[in-house]
Amino acid sequence: MENTTAADTRPRHHWVVRVTHWVNVLAVVLMTGSGFRIFNAYPGFARKGETFCCYPFEGTPIPAWMTFGGWLAGGRNWHFAAMWLLVLNGLIYLAFIYLHGEWRDLVPRRGHVRDSWEMAKFYLFLRKTHPRQGKHNALQRGAYFAMPIVGLLLVLTGLAIWKPVQLGVLTTMFGGYVWARYWHFVATWLLVLLSVVHVFMVLAVDPYSIRAMVTGRYKDSWSPETRNARPFVHLLPGRDSATGVDRQPGPS
Amino acid sequence: MKDNRDSSRFLDRRSFIQLTGAAVTTALLGCDGRGPRDAQKLLRWAEGRNEGVERALFRHTSIDRASRDAKLAGEAFPVYYVSKTLPVWDASVRGPWSLEVSGLVRHPLTLSLDDLLKLKQTRHRVNHYCVEGWTAVAEWSGVRVSELARLAGLTPDAKYVDFQSFDDGYHESWDIDSALHRQTLIALAMDGRLLAPAHGAPARLHSPIKLGYKSTKFLTRVVFMPERNGGYWSDQGYEWYAGT
Repeated sequence: MENTTAADTRPRHHWVVRVTHWVNVLAVVLMTGSGFRIFNAYPGFARKGETFCCYPFEGTPIPAWMTFGGWLAGGRNWHFAAMWLLVLNGLIYLAFIYLHGEWRDLVPRRGHVRDSWEMAKFYLFLRKTHPRQGKHNALQRGAYFAMPIVGLLLVLTGLAIWKPVQLGVLTTMFGGYVWARYWHFVATWLLVLLSVVHVFMVLAVDPYSIRAMVTGRYKDSWSPETRNARPFVHLLPGRDSATGVDRQPGPS
Repeated sequence: MKDNRDSSRFLDRRSFIQLTGAAVTTALLGCDGRGPRDAQKLLRWAEGRNEGVERALFRHTSIDRASRDAKLAGEAFPVYYVSKTLPVWDASVRGPWSLEVSGLVRHPLTLSLDDLLKLKQTRHRVNHYCVEGWTAVAEWSGVRVSELARLAGLTPDAKYVDFQSFDDGYHESWDIDSALHRQTLIALAMDGRLLAPAHGAPARLHSPIKLGYKSTKFLTRVVFMPERNGGYWSDQGYEWYAGT
């Protein structure tokens, strides 16, 4: 902050959003690692004496480096402790963005599909200039909107396989224990996929957003729209939007 | 522009530090580690809180039913014991097998297999939920633990039950509510035949309302207690309550 005055930057993320974001990183890493450790105790889905239609890697464990907890009990103990961190932190985040209005930047707008297509065209060099955007581009909006939904699916399927008798209604809703466990696993990979793409795009398109998620502040000249930035293209900042775009937009 | 360059260099250093931090964290957490030792206390505490939630969710009326299209596991029903070899009750050495029902009861019982078979039998087709994540369907029949408790005259101070075996000291203790649930059986037969040694003959505990490891096989004693008494796997770090 010492060589960037407050006048250069403007607020981007409220501290509640920043804290819950990084707590969520910790919670998701713990839940995914310990979840994979639990999965490895029985890396398949078939009920004993049956076969399962829909998993091609039945019997193949997740690589050990992706797991956390050391052994099944360790994985379970971490999983059933970190789940509270994930859920409480998630509830604080959702309550905050609802009450504070940030949800407006995260919920798809009218024309979302068209806007997403324009963004995709830009990334694929089928369009020269970065589409106009608000806080986030349409693809980001879609991804950030999907994350809590996948999170909710993870929590519900998780409850269904944690208490398949006492919460049997929920388990039945997901097609029984075997299927609920399967959906829990599929949702995990969906969240991993969303997170990996998110981190890749942050590093390749908008590394300045890491700073924004720490300090809360951001500059217009850093925004991918101003820089006309694609992955690994135009990574350096442009001029502040007040003075206009200083780069030739388009493929380089 | 100078200001911009400076700030972007500053940013690079900052991102570098953050990325390094993230990499170190990942290295500490990953690689199949168990996590920091200090965290074990926190995990124990969380287990206690979870037990509270599980007890609050418990209903005697919640029952398990195997799905209609599920096959009986039969031969595929996994077999496990903790002794080096399959524990088989040798009557010529140990005398006739019997089940002792004791502890906080007015009339302690000693029941032979025939005695047990003469009691009211309950038969149901339910899931077996293993802690590892697999399930297996079987049709179990036997005597409800609640029936034994009634016959023995359970006293009100009995809050826990310990189920003990002749499998190298294997035992698991239960909360009284789960033990008295109507799907918690002293199982004597599986899929219509008396228990095979591999499945815990002559009598085993079986219930779909707790994870498999809570259902002691090769039963010898059912002891009602004022306090919990841990268990073979619970003492090693697995969740004690383990309700489904």
